[in-house]
This record gives sequence, C-alpha cells and structure tokens, in this order.
Amino acid sequence: MKNNLNNSSSPAAGRRYWRSLDELADTPEFKDWLHREFPVGASEMVEDGTSRRHFLKIMSASFAFAGVAVLGSGCRRPEEKLEPFGQQPENYTFGEAQYFATAMPTRTGAIPLVVKSYEGRPIKVEGNALFPGSNGGTDRYAQASILDLYDPDRARRFTHDGKTISREDALSFLDTLSKKFAANSGEGLAFLAESSTSPSRARLQKIIVDKFPKSQWFTYDAIDSGIHQRAATQAFGSGVRPVFHFDKAKVILSLDCDFLGGEDDAHNHIRKFAAGRKAGEGMSRLYAVESLFTLTGANADHRLRVAASMVGKIAAFISTWAASRGAEVPAPNRDFESQWAFNCANDLLKFGKDALVVAGQRQPIEVHLLAHAMNVALGAIGNTVTLIPATENPSADLKNFEASARNALIILGGNPTYNSPFLLGGLKEITKGVATTIVRLGYYEDETAEQSDWNFPAAHYLESWGDAATSDGTLVPIQPLIQPLFGGMTELEFLARIAGWIETNPHEIVRETFFPPAISGNLLELEESWKKFLFNGFLMDSAPRPINVQFEAIPPMLDSRIQPAKSVTPSAQNLEIIFYRDAKMDDGRFANNGWMQELPDPVTKMTWDNAVLVSRKTARELGVANGDIVEITLNGRSVKGPIWTQPGMADYSLGLALGYGRERAGRVGTGVGFNAYKIFSGKYIETGATIRKTGETHVIACTQHHWAMEGRPAVREANLAEFIKLPNFAEEMHGKEAQPIKSLYPNPLDEAKKTALHQWGMSIDLNACVGCGTCVIACQSENNIPIVGKDQVSRGREMHWMRIDRYFTADPAKENPADKFKADEDQQFAEWIDDVQAVNQPMMCQMCEAAPCESVCPVNATVHDQEGLNVMAYNRCIGTRYCSNNCPYKVRRFNYLDFNKRPLTELKGTFYSTTLTHKTDGEWDLLRWWKDPNSGMRSEDEWDLIKLSKNPDVTVRMRGVMEKCTYCTQRIEHAKISQKAKAGGSDNVRLTEAAGTIPKTACQQACPAGAIVFGDISDPTSAVSKLKSLPQNYSVLGDLLTKPRTTYLARVRNPNPLMPDYREWPHSFEEYEQLNGNPFEHAKKGNG
Amino acid sequence: MIFPKWTNWLPLTLVVGAALAGGAVVTGVAVYCTPKYTRAGYQPVQPVPFSHKIHAGQLGVDCRYCHNSVEKSWFANLPGASTCMNCHNQILKDDSRLAIVRDSATNNTPIPWVQVHKVPDYVYFNHSVHVRRGMSCGKCHGRIDQMDEVRHAKSFSMSFCLDCHRNPAANIRPVDKVTDLGWQWSTNAVEAEKMQEVNGKKFVHDWKVESLQSCSACHR
Repeated sequence: MKNNLNNSSSPAAGRRYWRSLDELADTPEFKDWLHREFPVGASEMVEDGTSRRHFLKIMSASFAFAGVAVLGSGCRRPEEKLEPFGQQPENYTFGEAQYFATAMPTRTGAIPLVVKSYEGRPIKVEGNALFPGSNGGTDRYAQASILDLYDPDRARRFTHDGKTISREDALSFLDTLSKKFAANSGEGLAFLAESSTSPSRARLQKIIVDKFPKSQWFTYDAIDSGIHQRAATQAFGSGVRPVFHFDKAKVILSLDCDFLGGEDDAHNHIRKFAAGRKAGEGMSRLYAVESLFTLTGANADHRLRVAASMVGKIAAFISTWAASRGAEVPAPNRDFESQWAFNCANDLLKFGKDALVVAGQRQPIEVHLLAHAMNVALGAIGNTVTLIPATENPSADLKNFEASARNALIILGGNPTYNSPFLLGGLKEITKGVATTIVRLGYYEDETAEQSDWNFPAAHYLESWGDAATSDGTLVPIQPLIQPLFGGMTELEFLARIAGWIETNPHEIVRETFFPPAISGNLLELEESWKKFLFNGFLMDSAPRPINVQFEAIPPMLDSRIQPAKSVTPSAQNLEIIFYRDAKMDDGRFANNGWMQELPDPVTKMTWDNAVLVSRKTARELGVANGDIVEITLNGRSVKGPIWTQPGMADYSLGLALGYGRERAGRVGTGVGFNAYKIFSGKYIETGATIRKTGETHVIACTQHHWAMEGRPAVREANLAEFIKLPNFAEEMHGKEAQPIKSLYPNPLDEAKKTALHQWGMSIDLNACVGCGTCVIACQSENNIPIVGKDQVSRGREMHWMRIDRYFTADPAKENPADKFKADEDQQFAEWIDDVQAVNQPMMCQMCEAAPCESVCPVNATVHDQEGLNVMAYNRCIGTRYCSNNCPYKVRRFNYLDFNKRPLTELKGTFYSTTLTHKTDGEWDLLRWWKDPNSGMRSEDEWDLIKLSKNPDVTVRMRGVMEKCTYCTQRIEHAKISQKAKAGGSDNVRLTEAAGTIPKTACQQACPAGAIVFGDISDPTSAVSKLKSLPQNYSVLGDLLTKPRTTYLARVRNPNPLMPDYREWPHSFEEYEQLNGNPFEHAKKGNG
Repeated sequence: MIFPKWTNWLPLTLVVGAALAGGAVVTGVAVYCTPKYTRAGYQPVQPVPFSHKIHAGQLGVDCRYCHNSVEKSWFANLPGASTCMNCHNQILKDDSRLAIVRDSATNNTPIPWVQVHKVPDYVYFNHSVHVRRGMSCGKCHGRIDQMDEVRHAKSFSMSFCLDCHRNPAANIRPVDKVTDLGWQWSTNAVEAEKMQEVNGKKFVHDWKVESLQSCSACHR
C-alpha cells in the first residue's frame, strides 16, 4: 500500500497534526510504518523462530486434525440440558436483563449506579440517570470495576500464617479477638482504614471506639482527596466541604487542579464543565496553571506551564492583583508569567462572582487557602462554590501509628505495605519485639496480605450491602447484585464481628443506620421509604443545604503562609517530582484489571506502563531520550523507571504515576511498570531529586503512534470570536472533493432507506469531550472486547473498538522551518513542542454510507443493513483484512491470537503457545479441545470467571475475524424488538425520542460530558438531527465521499485577547492554513 | 521401456482412488446435506414422560401457560415444576411418573430436560417478536399438539429462516391465533391459501412488518 497520504501538492509542507515525538521525527521507519495497514509486526508471526515453511507444516497437520474433528462433531449431537427452576420466582423473566440501583464507593463520595444483571450475573455498570443532576455518566473506574468482580486472582480464602483455614475458624478468631480486647478496653489495638463516606461504617467506628476506648483508629489514603474538605474547614472555621459548580462559572482558574482527570469525582466535574462550555456566547473560559500536562490543561484556553512547586507563587501573584482590584499594573517589561498572571487576575475580577478558583489535590494546603481567599474576594462563595456541612471521621494522628499497634493491628482494605512504605514499610519490622497480630480484610492476597497473620477475603461492592454519601452529601445505598463469589466479607460485617455484635448481617446493619431503633412512625411507611431508597438508588433531598459561613483567614494567609520566595525554583540538579494519581491504576487498586492496564493513558497514550515524564528541555539537559531507564534519587531513596518526553511538561519536573510496580497484584498486574511509592513520603510535590542514566532501555507500548492522520483537518477548531463570525468554519475546511461521477452501481442503501423505519447516526461534540476515556472502557465492557497484553499492543494489535485520538498542535511561528521536516532524531527535541495545545477526538467506526471496507470484502462479510449500519457478519469473515486496509479511519480490529481464550499468564510474553504444544491444568490442550471444543487455553479458575463476565447479547469473537464498532447493534435490536413485541398487531413499531425508546450506545451512556449523541437521523426532530444541522457540524475525511454517519461538532476555544499567549486562531487552524491557505478565501473564489 | 513397471498398477490405483473419493462424496452428502444434519427429526427421551399431545392437544392448555416468557423474552422458558404442580397437586397427585416433578417442586432441584430445538450461538433468535407479530409457534416447531414426545420437526437452517423473512405475508396470521396450532383461514385448502395471501399482505402493510434480510437482524 503506497498511496500518497498527503493531500497537499508539496510533500515538504507535510503534516500539521502530530501525535508523538517520534512521529515528528519523520524517520524513514516511521514513514514506512505509517504506510502499513497495521503497524510493523502486527501481521507477522510471533517471534519464536517459526519460519513460514515450519508454520505451513504445523498448519497442515492441524488442518488434518481439524478435518477429523469436524467430521466427528458433525456426526455427534451433543445432548444439552435445560434446567428450569423448581419453584418459579415471581416477576422474573428468563432472558431479560434486570437492573438494580447501587453505588460504587469512592474516597470522598460515591458514584450512583444502575447495574445490569443477566441471569443473576452483573454484566454492565451504568450511571444512575435518576440521580439529581446526573446524566447517567460514570467514570473509568466505575466502568472497569466490574472486571474486578470476576478477577480470578482475587482473594478467595481465609488464611492464617499463609495456610488456608475454614471460614468458621476465621470467624471464631474474630470472636476471640473481640472478647480479648473487650476485657482490656482495646489496649494496644489499632485500626487502619481507608476513608469512606458510609454512615454505617462511621456508626460502627464510633461503637468500636466506645467499646475499646484505648484503641486507636487511623484513616489513611495513599491518594489523599480529603484536602479540599480540610482546607475549607480550616479557611471557614467550621466543618464544611466545597462543592464546585463548574457549570455556573464563567471563568475558571485551576491551580494545578486536574478536576477533569485525576481529582476525585471527576465525572461530576466533567459533566458540569461541559454544561458550561456549550459553543457560543456565554461559554466559560478555563485558565490552568500546572506542570504535568493533564486533561484539564489539555482542555484549558490558557495554560501556564510552571513547576508544581511554583504554583503557589503564581497563585499569590494572582491573588495580590485580585486583592488590589487591578490597581497595580505590571510594567511592560514584566516577564511572560507575570503578564499571564496579571491578565488572568483581571479576567477573574471582571467576572467577579461568576469566577471560580480551584486548587489541586496535590498542592499544599496554603494554595487551597489562597484559592478560597480568592473565591471569597471575588464573591464566588455561594455561587460557583457552595459549602456544605461535613464532618470528617475522626482519625488518630499517624505519627502515633507505630506506638499504637502493640497488640493487634486491623487493616481494612487498602494496601499499606505497597502504597505507604514510609508508614508501614515492614509491618513486621515496626512491630518487632512485640507480638502484634495483623488481621487484614483485603480484596487481594497482595503485598499487605503477605505480611498479615490473618487474611479475610473482602467482598466486591457488587456483592455487598452498604451505604455511602455522594460528593454533594446525598445518601445512596449499596445493594448486592450477586452473592459473594468466594465468601468474601464486607467491611461492615467484619467490624460488627470485631465489635462483638450479635447482628452481623450487613443488610440489617445498613437498615439500622437508615432507621435507628429509636425512630418512631408508621412501620409500613418506613418500609416503603426503605424500598424506595433501594429502588431509586438514593435518598431524595438528603443532600445537606449549602451554608453561609464567615471566611476566617485572609490576612495572615496572604502575609505569612504563602511566601513566594520560599519555593526554590527547580533546576537540573534540583529536580522536582510530582507524584500523581494514575488515570488507570488509581492508587494501585486497579493493577490487576486488564481493561485498565490496556486503556491508553488519556494524555500519554501509554499502556501497561508508567514512565518518568519529563519536558524536552529537561530531557536534553539530562541527556536522556524516550525509553532510557534512569535512576531517580530522592531523600536517599531511589527508584528506576523509563523516560518519556511529554510535550507541555514544565521544565525540571518529573511526573511519576503512582500505582504501578506491584509485586503481588496477580497474573495481570504483577511487575507492570515501576513503583514510585518507593520514594514517596506522603508529599505529592517534592524537590531535590537527582537523576542518573543507567544505560538500560525499556520498550513502552504506546498507542499514540498508531493510525496518525497525516495532514488532514481531523479535528477542526476556532476561537469563540471567529466562530461567532464564521459559524460554518469547519465546513470550509472540508478538503477538495473528487468530482462525483455518476456511479454505474447505485448504492443499494439508497433504495433500502426508503422503507426502513430508522436511519441511525451519531454526533460527537469535540467541544464537550475532554478525552477521559470512560467510553473506551464502557465499550470494552459492553462488547466483550478482550485484552491483548503489552507485547501485542506494541505490535498494534489492541482490540479497542473505539479509541480517543489525541493530537498535539503547536504554533507554526515557533517551528523552525530549517529543521522541521528532516529525518533527524534531534527533532524530537525541537523547541516548539514546549507549549502545545492538545485536542481529543473519539474515533470509532464512522458507519460510512459509502463504506470503503464493504466494496473490498471478497466474502460479503461486511455489508450495510437497511438502517444504515455497516454490519459485520463474523461467521462469514475469512480474515483477509482487506477491509481494514481500505478503511480510511483505521477503526477495524483483527483478532490475531484468539485473545479471548488466551491465558492471563501469556499477556506479558512475546511468545504465544498453541494448542499443539500447550498444557492447561496439566492436560494437553489438543486433548482438552477434543473433549470440549469450548474449552480455552485458560485454566479452569480463569475460564469459569471470565465466562461470567461476558455480555450474552454480543458474540465473543474468535481468532481470524475482523471486528469493529457496531453502534451497539445489540442495544438497537433489543429496543426494536421490545417495541415490536409491544406493538403486536399494530403499526406502532417505530422507535422515537418522544417515547424514550431510542437506545443509547454504551459510549454515549457512559460519557459524563454528554459528548456523544446517538439517534435516528431520519427523524428531523431528534437530538442527533438537530446537532447535525448545527453550523459547526463536519465529517472527518468527508472529502473522500465516504458519507460517514458519525459526524463531529467542531471545537471552540475561548481565549482572552489580552493574554500574552493569545492567538486569533487555535494552533491547529494556523497549521492548516499554513498548508492549505485560508479556507475562507477559497470559499470566496468558489473553490471550496 | 517407456512406462516404468509401477504403471501397471495405475489403472487399479485410479479405480480404487475414484471409488474412495466417490464414497467420501456420497457419505458427505448423506451426512451433511440432509435435514438430519440440521437436527430435524431429533427426538430425545425426556426425564419425565410429558405429553404435549395430551396437555396442549386434548386438554387445550395454551402454550403460554407453561412457556410464559415467550411473549416477553427471546427465550421461551420451560416451566418451573411449581407450574406443573398447579394442576398436579390435584390430578394424578401420587402418580409415580411425576415423582421427579414433585421432588423438583419441593426441593427446588431442576428437572434435567433435554434440549430439542436449538439455533447456533451466533443466531440471536427472539421468540417474543415473532409470536407477538403473528408468527405461529407451529411454523417452526410443527404440530407440537400432536406429539407425545417432542420431536424436532423442521430444519433450522438459515434458508428456513430466510424463506419466511423474504416473504412474511405468506406466513403471518392474526395475533390471537398464534398458539392455536391447528388454526387455518379455512378448511378448504385453496380458499385458505387465497385468504392468507390477501390477509397476509394486509397485515404486513397495517402492522408495518419488515422483511428483514440484513445480517444485523439475526447476527450481532
């Protein structure tokens, strides 16, 4: 395949969008790689020395086997049993999914959910759209959490000293423990728990502290999100928690606050932020001051790149100017940062109470106090920030931790041995000399379990009764969808047993919290309110009302607590480290979750790894390049990890994602990445680190090399002022179409359309999409998409049906034309990548009406249906991959190695064994397959669980078959069938938005921003039709006349013309213009 | 010598080879190209000697009394033993043939019925949409009401499905006659065919019945 991907006449004027530094390098390898249908190695055999001849030999042998097997299977008729209920349960229809409201607890809140259950198995998590304010969106973690339920490596047994014991023995030990400490008032007893918003747990904690007055309760989180509440409590002098209203704010200043990415409750922030950013007059403006390139920075209109330790200084500048009400004007010779801060301050002042300042979780409390001071000064409190009363669960001071646990330490969840080594480096070490019994309730037999004397398996939240409060304080229930698969216990039951309670059933405990025994009232009504609570999944109006509190702390704070001079500017010898919450692993709890490991990081697009993120300049000064393993030393401790040059990083900052380098995570997560906790001491920003190059290198599997769209206006953007003048700018950027020739073969869809009931289409709002990646996981969960492992990702074989393309764009004036397009390795260090803009674009099958994939399929395996779906018939597919070759969007995925049947242990290797040589559970695989053709090469424990997790409405595809996004055809069919079954002998068969019968695709339903809208485009009143008629609607590569059914709404930025980094047009447009000329002049000439 | 010695064996080899190849073809056709291969005619012995002929035929119990999810779900469920006991706690309540059923209803242990009708896993057949839209049970299952032991009456091949999907008018009937397996438009065959044609077209038009032939209708 050697076509000219450039639609420009001058090859030297090449591309404008680029997606990675390596791509920018424009090396011949990359060129070659780009021109391939799949990346290098994707279509080759695995590297096990198998030659083509040898391969043919093996294959002919297996064909012979297969022939015999087919003949055999044709002759026999396997007898299958249907086993109905003995006693038919009421209101249960076999084959129809049921939905239950529940919630996923987070550190500072909970995500209200509705979970789909099929034959008693939870299979898909959705947001609870009934929840006040919610649009049914969720986050990545909630979507992926369902895979943890079916994790074969989760703790399945009770152990004592590493030996399996019976549940009864374990429970009687808890009784003994309870009695022992009841006798001595809890002397030497300590609890270590993660934070929780559960009222029932708070109640039990109080009961325990009352019963064991000498015991100590510690609350500790490796990723501490409680700082928002602590700072607000300190600033306002009473127990309050801030609730940020990004939807009401017209100007937002983020002080290193990744509220769209790493902060807790990000899905709520994304929803509100997107609501306030509808393209047009009145859309909000976002300023970001940060060092890491985060999703918030990627979505900011102005981004100031400074070291994280200098954010406080900038914040102080801004607040000083804000406090002086713009009286002080910076001298013209002021540096860029001051200019930036000054104009930002003026903008905040201009909008007054409609402005909002937020400080990030990793910033010290002083910066949070400053942010509150600014909000108070602007009058934003009560408008864009409200304060709700909140009390923190009492926690003892962690300094006393070592002294407290002399007798017994009870660890609830968490993984302190791994994620807080400074606190509990070696539990045994700390407690040496005294006979401390460590009792642990944990979801995995992990690092902490190894050090514990007694281990109790924890129940998944989908197996538990419980309760929680969301970030706005609304009470939500946690209902089990399934009995604990491996007899796991909930925290509530565990604590109740330690407290020596008679009532240990968590359901009863939660009910008792809901109805305290003292409550009076009509029992029937109470019962109804309980049922309604469970049915709705939240307690109506239980969120506390915002309160008015007096701000206490302006003067001392501005004077003394923030001293700009205090912070030392980082340098090459004094590097700054930022420890951040990983977008996928969280604090490490999702390490054994394959979906999360394989999800490309929203910013770096890395999979199965973390890296030391550095800026171009830092990398050059330190003499390191991508993939070089370096040793980072901080405070005498060191850790090794590979370098990754990240555009937009602040200089002399190292970004280290927490949550990797697990030693006992399980078959998926063990040994992936490096463990940044080794040098972490509880502070998220530290200076004084040094780096040493080790000379080793590491391969990073990054999906951002894949499917680059060279030089085409894939993402189209304008600034607000220009958008108002030229609302149809995106259409003007449409490339020059081929002259349509009357086709000899009319598109059959044109005829079929006339009688079809619906025509499906999708609209994706690039202005709303922040690139969080929730949709990717939702799609994976809904559509039974397998994971492939790091090696296979690096060969470009990942199976995600949808991806989020992330492009960096830069100022063409800063680009040095002399070295721009040379095949020179040094170009990846080109200066102009320092300050970049980023855009995100969800990309999946575009459902082209004139689909290029269809015309090349030799077996008609991919064809159109009458409603405009480009469908795949897996059984017809013979795997020629012609369709993928001919797809201009590169959205088709080929299942190379039967990834669904591949054992988890083989995810990390480069060698994939075949049934001819492999043994599973000690038995030859060919023999196993002969006995049961449905057996995979996975061991029984994996296989049984993985089958439970699959969506029965979607085919589990096998090897050698092409697959792709289907617009969730199973949901469409289900909706259509339900409507037709309801219609019976009438003509009411059409799905309509008015009746609420149009299905949602999985990505649409999961999207917290509401960026994806799916519907019937033959209905002019449908939401999707209305969106498609907006002026900023455009098709990607529409000039190829593919007529995609998925169209995009162009992105609109809202920069401030007074800012020093203001440009009339976004960088992407400038780059487009440099190559293709001004599209509007073309339009005037009638050439568009 | 032009021909080496082994060529003497050539005619015999050819004959034997042709016979073997021919035999393979005949066997193949006999096995794979008959309704038998598509399970038609399959009639396993069930754990309980339940007779549809008596229940559905003689007693006239509606199909949906037992298969009650057929109008709501893709799956036409087998009844729980508790459904059987609705009648059988009065009738034949001590019959030894019903011992398994009584046991199942009491102890909630399932009865291991043998599955007769089955479409491949890649076919997402849905009962509800067919029976609710005038497609009789008998179109696919045959005269169940005349069978003592259930037999796989028709071949469930793709062409069997498509025959109907291509021409729904020829098979559709009033919705309330779906479970009446013996129902006909008229006792006169010629008359019945004519009425089917007229009414079938009318139903297809009035109910907006689609003639779905694209892959997505059945495969996902």
